[in-house]
Amino acid sequence: MYIIITLIFLLYLGRLYQLQLIYRDEYGKKSEENSIRTIPREPVRGTIFDRNGTLVVDNRPAFSVTIMPFEFDRKNINYLAQLLSLDPEFVSDRLKKGETYSRFAPIKIKRDIDFKTLAALEENRGRLPGVDYQVESKRFYTTNAHASHVLGYTKEISEAQIKILGEDYAPGDVVGSSGLEADYETTLRGRKGAELTVVNVRGQVIGRFEGGKSDVQAVQGDNLLLSMDFGLQAFAESLMTGRRGAVVAVDPNDGGVLALVSMPDYDLSLFSGVTTPELWRSLNEDEASPLFNRATLTRYPPGSTFKMVLAVAALESGTITPSWRVTCTGAFRYGNKVFKDLHVHGSVDLIEAIQRSCNVYFYQLMLKTGLDPWSHYGAEFGFGRLTGIDIFEENPGILPTQAYMDRRYGKSGWTRGFLPSFGIGQGDVGVTPLQMALYAAALATKGEYNEPHVVHAVVRSNPHSTDTVAPSLRMINVSDATWSAVREGMRRVVEEPGGTGGMARVKGIQSGGKTGTAQNPHGPDHAWYIGFAPFDHPKIAIAVLVENAGFGGSVAAPIAGQCIERYLYGRLIRYDGVPQPATRAAHQPPLHAGMVP
Amino acid sequence: MMLAAIKERFDYRTALIALALVTIGVISVYSATYDAKAADTFHKQLLFVFLGFITMVGVMFIPFRLLQLISYPAYFLSILMLVAVLLLGRTVSGSTSWFTIGPFRMQPSEFTKITCVLALATFLARSDVSLRRFRDLAIAGGIVLLPVALIMMQPDTGTALIYLGMFFPVLYWAGASQFTLLSIIGPIVAAVAALFGTTLFLIAVVAFGVLLYLSMEHRIAAAAMFSLTVLVGISVQFIYDGLKPYQQKRIATFLDPNTDPLGAGYNILQSKVAIGSGGVFGKGYLHGTQTQLNFIPEQWTDFIFCVPGEEFGFMGSVTVLALFIALFIRGVGLAATVKNRYAGVVAIGVTSILATHTFMNIGMSLGLLPVVGVPLPFLSYGGSALIASMAMVGLLLNLYANRKEY
Repeated sequence: MYIIITLIFLLYLGRLYQLQLIYRDEYGKKSEENSIRTIPREPVRGTIFDRNGTLVVDNRPAFSVTIMPFEFDRKNINYLAQLLSLDPEFVSDRLKKGETYSRFAPIKIKRDIDFKTLAALEENRGRLPGVDYQVESKRFYTTNAHASHVLGYTKEISEAQIKILGEDYAPGDVVGSSGLEADYETTLRGRKGAELTVVNVRGQVIGRFEGGKSDVQAVQGDNLLLSMDFGLQAFAESLMTGRRGAVVAVDPNDGGVLALVSMPDYDLSLFSGVTTPELWRSLNEDEASPLFNRATLTRYPPGSTFKMVLAVAALESGTITPSWRVTCTGAFRYGNKVFKDLHVHGSVDLIEAIQRSCNVYFYQLMLKTGLDPWSHYGAEFGFGRLTGIDIFEENPGILPTQAYMDRRYGKSGWTRGFLPSFGIGQGDVGVTPLQMALYAAALATKGEYNEPHVVHAVVRSNPHSTDTVAPSLRMINVSDATWSAVREGMRRVVEEPGGTGGMARVKGIQSGGKTGTAQNPHGPDHAWYIGFAPFDHPKIAIAVLVENAGFGGSVAAPIAGQCIERYLYGRLIRYDGVPQPATRAAHQPPLHAGMVP
Repeated sequence: MMLAAIKERFDYRTALIALALVTIGVISVYSATYDAKAADTFHKQLLFVFLGFITMVGVMFIPFRLLQLISYPAYFLSILMLVAVLLLGRTVSGSTSWFTIGPFRMQPSEFTKITCVLALATFLARSDVSLRRFRDLAIAGGIVLLPVALIMMQPDTGTALIYLGMFFPVLYWAGASQFTLLSIIGPIVAAVAALFGTTLFLIAVVAFGVLLYLSMEHRIAAAAMFSLTVLVGISVQFIYDGLKPYQQKRIATFLDPNTDPLGAGYNILQSKVAIGSGGVFGKGYLHGTQTQLNFIPEQWTDFIFCVPGEEFGFMGSVTVLALFIALFIRGVGLAATVKNRYAGVVAIGVTSILATHTFMNIGMSLGLLPVVGVPLPFLSYGGSALIASMAMVGLLLNLYANRKEY
């Protein structure tokens, strides 16, 4: 009898030892999971300022409706769906998904409801147990610039994104999904906080855990200070309204992007609340592809704007001197191919050939110089590779080289007959407007090639500190004599009679530039213009592309000129004494009569 | 001189152990019902403790001869009450085992345990009764099976099992042969083993065969017993296989609650978490999260052991366990000391009832035994159980005082 009692005692003692001493930590953790509920606290997303300190992206409160599955009565699904004008299936689907995650965690059912809905919800709260709302922040865009492709949108995180981004994210969180919002997601987001509450077995909150001592404060996201000028951005957007194309302006001295326009664009504030499937569909199905960033993703031939690459290559390789002349008869025959020009230019030297955009001159110069030097200097100017800009999506474009041609056409599949087109930026050459702006910047600074960046600095609030983006500078090794000749050609394009870019002229400021009219198989020519100003101490370099618009000199050049004027003077001085137009669309100036390229 | 006289008549050690357990019980019930909602539970328990002590003292002073005299009448009275409760009783959580008297409810089955022991002792103490005789063995079995059958009809499996836990030690004590004991235990063990699988069943059958061979009195009887055991085991397997899947699941969950962590296994899991998370020294009184946040359903009744386990840790739970063991050892020791056969059977019976309760309850809280709702003596909330437990301590004290009587 004693033995049995002792045996049972020892058995139970052993079990207590096992539970309380060996597995103590495991059970301790389980007991915490039982009773301590972590309620996440959303951080305030960092705001964005432009180079003048203007707040361009801010936050505004938004009300999101949530459901606590544990308290919610499924019979109310239809009623709630009707109140929020949602599909009942959507609500029950969300509920089901959320329940598998946790029955005690609120599920966001609709973000950013309006005040009318909020009032209706508040009135019916008694009828809808478990339905609540949270105050969140949503993006608010303060300026009249869209800058949609630069800033990017935030939206509710998808399941696929959660898998990639990992544990810090939960369903219902907002995540930057394009542009700066995506590229600087970790910077802007801040850190989620957590409020620890004690709950009973029914999941009801009884109080704060340890009086809130162990709560984790949400940390506000860091702010971004951009190199962009939103005044210029808005102005450039207004000039491009109704067109398809892109404008990229950079500060040639540090690679800071001043403006980056891709048209058509879209209104980011449409994304700041709930992104409806209809909105998505309309943006995705729009044949003008407003979501597509033409400034960094296109791969268009640059046309005549590319001629300076060949000029530099020819001079640097010693193929010619600036005084080398060609007589232009309006066409150039090579083998059985005829390469055309727009005009009969007569006898021109290098500088005149740039000024008047003589194709025949560059056809011959290309054959004389050969592919390799041209490819080499093209690469030096940043073509055929990614620029490294900090807005996520970018296309390297195409810069033909020996290797590229062999791969594309086979070793014996191409001849020197392919080359003349390259001299005038046609054929296989593909560039982005951003690359063109940086090319203009390198010409402006005589070879300083800065990696482009939209963000000038990250401003941390606590403790206050500023991390300025270090410009990454690369020198293009070209002689001064070459720069002088090529740049003189560009100056004459704008400033001298007979130049093709006279419409880019800005009163009181000398500038350099080059027009381009790129043929493309899909329709009318694309109009290009690149330029920089002031000529001697450049502060802005710009590239303008207008799709299917015709001559670069008459369509793209005036846009560039006005942008330069707007940036350097802070306004359009050409309207001095003329009443300022009030509306956005009215900014579009009349074409100046008598300045035909 | 005076003190020595008191020590001679009063088993103060047993009384102190019971007092200590009751105190721990009061403290634990207070903690388990700490939130305002169940506050009157604690106050009622205090009243029960008071009534319990009065009962204990009252039972202690019943004259020894009177005790023997009233054993049968008390037994029949309590059987009548069991019948009455079936006809008139109040149903609580599916089981009709309560009488309502004013603001209180009474559970007759708690008291029938005691009267059953008393009746059994009276019968076995008769000089003409021998458990070696089948007739007497059958009568003794009948005395136990009658209340068991009535309680099973309530139904209250847990309490019914307590009677079996009392019956075997009593049989053993009263001199039943090993063969008899084996013959009763064998089929039960075989049936349970069969539910756990064929391997375990075969092991049980072989072990049983060996033991039966060693204690054999009669070759034919032994062979019959062995065949019966094997038959019971096999038929259990067949019956189990013939059950509907949900019924099989219910049995499987009963035997191993971990297979159903949200249903039957929930209590066990939460109880293990509570006890395990207590660690060495516990989370501190009134600071057990499992206890205070009501994660363990009905904690102040069947799962009260979690409170000392969680809030006082290994130290607390071992203390409680050790106090119980000390009580049982004193009970068994008392049975060996008393001169009177009736007293011996009562001591063993009472101790076995308390021990069965304790081991079943703590074993369940520790996840070692299936969930069977039996209260932990002295600790669990509940008037009938507490008063009955105190009455049993009163009986032990009474027997100690009269241990030299023949």
